[in-house]
Amino acid sequence: MSIVLRIAREEWRSLLRNRVAVMGTILLTILMLIASLTAWEHQRNAGEERARYQAQSNHEFESQPDRHPHRVAHYGHFLFRPLNALAAFDPGINAYTGNTLFLEAHRQNSANFGDVRQSSLLLRFGQLTPAFVLQVLAPLLLIFVGFAGVSRERESGTLRVLLTQGVSSQQLVIGKLVALLGFSGLILLPAVVGLCLLSVSGASAWAMTLLLIGGYTLWLLLWSLAVIFISSLCQRGRDSLLALMAIWVLVVILLPRWVPDMANAAIALPTRFENEISVQREYLALGDAHNPDDPKFAEFRDKVLKQYGVTRIEDLPVNFKGLVGMEGERKSSELFSHYSTRAFDLQAQQNSFVDGFSLLSPLFALKRLSMTASGTDLQNFRRFLEQGEQYRYNLVQGLNKLQAESLTYADDTNRQKENRIARSNWQAFPEFKFTPGSSIETLKGALASIGVLTLWIMVLGVLSWLQSRRLGRAIR
Amino acid sequence: MLIDKVISSEASSSEYVLDARDVLAGYGSKTILHELNLHIRPGEIYALLGANGAGKTTTLSLFLGFLAPQSGLVRVNGIDPFTRPTEARKNFAYIPENVALYEHLSARENVAYLLDLAGQHEDASTISNALAAAGLDSSAFDLRVGGFSKGMRQKVAIALALARKVPALLLDEPTSGLDPQATTEFNRLLGLLRQQGVAILMVTHDLLSAADIADRIGFLEAGRLVEEVAAQGQDRFDVRNLHRRYAGQAI
Repeated sequence: MSIVLRIAREEWRSLLRNRVAVMGTILLTILMLIASLTAWEHQRNAGEERARYQAQSNHEFESQPDRHPHRVAHYGHFLFRPLNALAAFDPGINAYTGNTLFLEAHRQNSANFGDVRQSSLLLRFGQLTPAFVLQVLAPLLLIFVGFAGVSRERESGTLRVLLTQGVSSQQLVIGKLVALLGFSGLILLPAVVGLCLLSVSGASAWAMTLLLIGGYTLWLLLWSLAVIFISSLCQRGRDSLLALMAIWVLVVILLPRWVPDMANAAIALPTRFENEISVQREYLALGDAHNPDDPKFAEFRDKVLKQYGVTRIEDLPVNFKGLVGMEGERKSSELFSHYSTRAFDLQAQQNSFVDGFSLLSPLFALKRLSMTASGTDLQNFRRFLEQGEQYRYNLVQGLNKLQAESLTYADDTNRQKENRIARSNWQAFPEFKFTPGSSIETLKGALASIGVLTLWIMVLGVLSWLQSRRLGRAIR
Repeated sequence: MLIDKVISSEASSSEYVLDARDVLAGYGSKTILHELNLHIRPGEIYALLGANGAGKTTTLSLFLGFLAPQSGLVRVNGIDPFTRPTEARKNFAYIPENVALYEHLSARENVAYLLDLAGQHEDASTISNALAAAGLDSSAFDLRVGGFSKGMRQKVAIALALARKVPALLLDEPTSGLDPQATTEFNRLLGLLRQQGVAILMVTHDLLSAADIADRIGFLEAGRLVEEVAAQGQDRFDVRNLHRRYAGQAI
């Protein structure tokens, strides 16, 4: 057995005889199990509930009696965001963004501009989830277990004894690191098993599972390096513990709270109320799409008449009211899209602002990676909103087209006449199917985070190496 | 015991396991040792005495490889301990004043672990023999050393040195804090190692103990080796005279 492994084995034996290490590991494993089970149970219930509500909503929409297509467009439709199985591991911003959309003609879908999104920055804190346990509590346990790894040898005098047996200081530091990495593996094991089970059962893609395992492995490697580095830097175990606790508080607790607030202050998002007023003002300026005589649509009317080679809308072969509805929907959707894109761009700027602080706290990078892989990040939510909005637009325009083609203008403008079309028309519309991002897209999205974590590891690795060399010379 | 002055400069460097020639050494710009010449042959016990700050620990640090000489040459079995510390340390065992061991391990486990790190994988009986030879009671072999007295700890360290079978042993104040009986027992163990051909450098304040066991005694004053005396030869020195001369310096 190599000297490094022998040192690691001895450190393990010491850990096994260390009550803090044993109790901490048991406690963390229990927490991880509780977090996994509760998150999974919540996830399963929520998933079943959403599927049930979606089926009910689809059924109610399709069950509308024969009626005017524009009434169908205003009847509305609900979309429920399907849950990614990995959301049980890291629910990310799901709890704050909502997962239900109400779709209606000339209305932006209900989720956009919601107040919950005002603080949809990636860095919420506090839910007991497997991700929370690994992100916040696991480093703490590593600190308690490893803070004295090297400093204890120096403090007790055994460092001198070890070195005089012909052990190099680098071997000592690497041995301690290997021991702590083994311990990290033990901490990570329950999550690895759980994630692999999800992939084996087909509930999640292997690529995402491996990305999560890789990301959290980097995270624990980073902390193991940090713990050993500080431990080799400090003369006494007590100093090492204090320094590591201060770093943990800053990196894991304070910065993830301060930085989002700073981002909010630096790049303010308009409130839902402000957005609604702005959108409504501009929407009213577009004209009333229910009224074919609205002067705002005069230009459109002239264009249509010219296109069909007639002079009166009554002579058009299609129902002009339906066409105006389509044009109005196009314009209003452009308006909604403009505001939605602007809001998302601002949020992207906020997230970039936060990402910049990954060089101070690698937790930002890990959180981004974790949520990206779990499909619970802002990008994934945006994808759902955009697909939902596209579905709403197609649905409403389909109904407008039915109005234009199935009803005559004369009938449609006659208030005494009931204008209904068969419900089979909208029953033929496709159901909403959410398409998540591909594995390649997700991996690309996580590359920056992997880069930041790797950079941290490299820097800590170099510092630890240099310090380990110094350690062999710093004894008198 | 009578001690004689010796002149060792005639011997060639290859004869010495521990060898320091014309060494200047210190920390930063401060020089502590001046022109130190110290040569110890196999099977020789050399006691280095001196007052606090005279340079005893600095001398040890040179051989341990923790300190580079500012000039001059330091060798352990022909190896420069500062530039090749790992190799040099395979050639000596070191017993500090306060023997540091792993408190959560037993005496046997401590020796086994440290031997493993030194690249020697010994079976349990070899380790037991070493512990027994060092005078540790067999009932203590499997007890955690956390509860050991200083004397018992030193026996564990001696057992390690015995088991390592190295050509040199470096001792820092080995009898400090030991009762007379333990000191006698410790000296007996050093004699055992001497018989095995081990070169021993012992840094100590204890003139009587040094005179009892050492083959030569060197006196450091302000970083200079001012005198060397030996137990054998024509110019034997009376330990009482030594005591009279050096006791005032609180060696």
